[in-house]
Amino acid sequence: MALLEVENLSIGYRTKRGVLQAVDNVSFSVEAGRSLGLVGESGCGKTTIGMALMGLLPRNGRVTAGAMRLMGRDMLGLSREQWRGLRWKEIAMIFQAAMNALNPVQRVGQQIAEAILTHNPGLSRGEAHSQVEGLYQLVGLSLERLRDYPHQYSGGMKQRAVIAMALACNPKIIVADEPTTALDVIVQDQILQETKALQKEFNIGIIFISHDISIVAEVCHHIAIMYAGQMVETGTTDEVFREAKHPYTRALLGSFPALGGERRPLRPIPGEPPLLIGQLAGCRFCDRCPEHGHACKLDPPQWRRFSDTHFALCDHCD
Amino acid sequence: MARYVAGRLAQIVVILFMIVTILFVLFRLAPGDPVSRMVDPSLSPEEAANLIAQLGLDKPIGQQYLQYLQNFVKGNFGHSFHYGLPVGQVIMAKLPNTILLFTTAMVLSALAGIAWGKVAAWKKGLGTDTALTVAALVTHTLFLPWLALLVIWIFGYKLDWLPINGMISAEVWLDPMSGPVDKALDVAYHMVLPLATLFIMHFGSYLLVMRSSMLQTLREDYIITARAKGLTEREIRNHHAAPNAWLPVITSVGLSLAFSINGGALTETVFSWPGIGRELVMAVSQNDYPLAQASFLLIAMVVLFANLVVDLLYAFFDPRIRY
Amino acid sequence: MSAEPQTASQATPRRRSPWRERFREDWLVFNHNPLGRAGLILLSVFGVMALLSFLPPLIDPMYHPMTGVDPQVLYSEGPSARHWLGTDFMGRDILSQLLAGTRVAFMVGVSAAFMSIVLGVSIGMVAGYAGGIIDTLLMRLAEIIMVLPTLLVVLMLSALFGKLNIWTIVLLIALFRWPGVSRVIRAQTLSLKSRPFIDAARVAGASHTRIVFRHIMPNVLPLAFLYMTFRVTAAIVIEAALAFLGFGDPSTVSWGMMLQWVWKTGHMFQAPYWLFPPGLCISLITLSFYLLGRAMDEVLDPRLREENGTV
Repeated sequence: MALLEVENLSIGYRTKRGVLQAVDNVSFSVEAGRSLGLVGESGCGKTTIGMALMGLLPRNGRVTAGAMRLMGRDMLGLSREQWRGLRWKEIAMIFQAAMNALNPVQRVGQQIAEAILTHNPGLSRGEAHSQVEGLYQLVGLSLERLRDYPHQYSGGMKQRAVIAMALACNPKIIVADEPTTALDVIVQDQILQETKALQKEFNIGIIFISHDISIVAEVCHHIAIMYAGQMVETGTTDEVFREAKHPYTRALLGSFPALGGERRPLRPIPGEPPLLIGQLAGCRFCDRCPEHGHACKLDPPQWRRFSDTHFALCDHCD
Repeated sequence: MARYVAGRLAQIVVILFMIVTILFVLFRLAPGDPVSRMVDPSLSPEEAANLIAQLGLDKPIGQQYLQYLQNFVKGNFGHSFHYGLPVGQVIMAKLPNTILLFTTAMVLSALAGIAWGKVAAWKKGLGTDTALTVAALVTHTLFLPWLALLVIWIFGYKLDWLPINGMISAEVWLDPMSGPVDKALDVAYHMVLPLATLFIMHFGSYLLVMRSSMLQTLREDYIITARAKGLTEREIRNHHAAPNAWLPVITSVGLSLAFSINGGALTETVFSWPGIGRELVMAVSQNDYPLAQASFLLIAMVVLFANLVVDLLYAFFDPRIRY
Repeated sequence: MSAEPQTASQATPRRRSPWRERFREDWLVFNHNPLGRAGLILLSVFGVMALLSFLPPLIDPMYHPMTGVDPQVLYSEGPSARHWLGTDFMGRDILSQLLAGTRVAFMVGVSAAFMSIVLGVSIGMVAGYAGGIIDTLLMRLAEIIMVLPTLLVVLMLSALFGKLNIWTIVLLIALFRWPGVSRVIRAQTLSLKSRPFIDAARVAGASHTRIVFRHIMPNVLPLAFLYMTFRVTAAIVIEAALAFLGFGDPSTVSWGMMLQWVWKTGHMFQAPYWLFPPGLCISLITLSFYLLGRAMDEVLDPRLREENGTV
């Protein structure tokens, strides 16, 4: 049984102009010790999925269809109190540290201890504190930094602290939302390697959300490409990276081998994703797709299977 | 830290020096004889001559200025016409009363503004929020002297619950049996109405600042982190949102200090609270120039120091700021 | 260099959109705010009162707010058909005083606010645009003035120079209330200064005066206008407090002065009909300008819209 299963998940936001279908019919699963990368442009719904997994959708957001199961247990029917018990204990999150994920007026060590104490009410402050020390050693932070405030940390240190915080309650799943964006390349690489090592050590399932497919490829076993609320291609990292099928994936990878003409590195994808309000017929990518045919605009594309693990949502790929 | 405070103190000295200089110039620019403004007309000729010499009023203007500065540093502001006492002695006796009333009022209204603003933001859009916001808007635009008169009219006259003027009652203080507790209680009893007036006037602006700052804070990422950690809503509000949100309230206390001290003077006047604000107003009405000048300087000094205290408080509560 | 004004003004965000369209949009946002609407309605009521203030002395000289005395009334009397709000201690009509006070309040508030805004905007723009030592000096000056309690300063001056007339008071209020505005305008100017359209204008050879007045001023004016409503309330309150303490212009009837009369003549306990109206008027006119300012703030700063939308 998979650790986490998401089936046909759809999420909508109520807005003034109507319901915005941010996530449409998305399915995936994560095994213990494995990692899945969710890749797509901003607004494609990847962060919404992360938030839904934490039960933290904004007030106007709602899961409209589908199911989320953690070790076979349905998550959608949980009460507020049950959610509170589940968060961090079972599913933790690594936030983008550059985004102010740490409270600026509280000591970093204290913020981590707080998570431990919330989920282990029997623990004394001293015990929680020594656990935090252990976490600091684990992620390679100096213990002298425990009593510092976030602004005294560098970007990389903040990111490590955020990772330490995510590990605080030994979660089974970690959702990592753009965890290395805004870090310089060297630090980014260190942190990715360490994350990988920690994942192996603790047998954690990771959902790695990023707009950067190359980073995801470095860490993840599986990749799912998202576009305009839908999943458009999924497969093992090798399959998606080496034999990308969907034109959008190929565009993300930065080349269009099917098209004649010279290869251009770093080619931006022209146009913008459609607005996700109201009925959308046909393939959502077709306006930006270099390979689209007439039928693409009218009929919804069908999933095509390339191997046991590799699928793409496109009628035109080979 | 020490260096910062020293720097600020130096700045305060410079500002005071400028104010003193401007006052000196104004006293000489104003129509009429500057000597008559500093020397009590009821003094005998020798006494007057003595005082004139002491204040340097018989010397050329440049020396007068130097003498004036020297006297200022020594705290020698001349004699009050009204009291017939050295001005320094008069105002120093009043200063603690002002500080007692004013500080209590500011602290209480800031605390209430923070607490209620927090609730309003948390219940945003609900009845509690609307009621608190409207109450804040209405009370903090009230005309303070009128509010003071209303408070007197209702609680001092119609209901006759509380004393409406002064700071102490003679029967308590003259009674040899009453100890320090009785005396303190008597002062507290007299302070209720002026305190209530200042409180009603001021909590509203802090409430509004706290509310909007809290609403902004609630959209910060670290609030999502706190929620993701599984904290209760109450813990999120009190441990994560509020400690960030009330920093701007401290700033606004500092910015509104000059405005609040106006209100303090008006309140003291209406309630006959024996403080420097009332002393200034009375001195001005009675043409007691030495007293007016000194009270004004003292008030300016109080505002400047209070500003410094507010800045230090801010640094104390915000770890990002270290002097 | 004829191309300069066009390129520059095209890049200028506020001047580009048609004024009428912009105004309509802003009005919709404003009108959406019930408190702002309440403020506007209250303010119109005061406007009508100010206009009506010319009437009573025309009906009968005894209704003159300052010099008119009802020969049949020797001391303060409660409301009657002859005097709807009663009379003061000398038999003067309280209603006509109240109406006259409205006029004074508007006059004081708007003119002092206007002057302090003109001062604050010019000083703020100069400080922000010039930078360097000029900026430092002006902002230090602003800091000093900001810590001075305006009411007490004006009080001190009236001790030295005798009772001040109403225009001197207005001028003094303006002189002491510009720093807050100038700091905001300076900050805005600083951020505008680094935008490309200013550089474009400079490269195109526009003079400093031209840049300041043609390109920076139009962009800070909405903000200045917003601050003006808050300054109006400050000016009205300071004038009223001054009059309340007995240092108002003796030749005008203001609300503060009416309160002083009721307080100093010892009528406050016997004559609630006299105690209530002037204070209520000062408080309400302050409230209405304040509400107006808050609603305008929301129009100018879209970030506030969601959070204050409900109130």
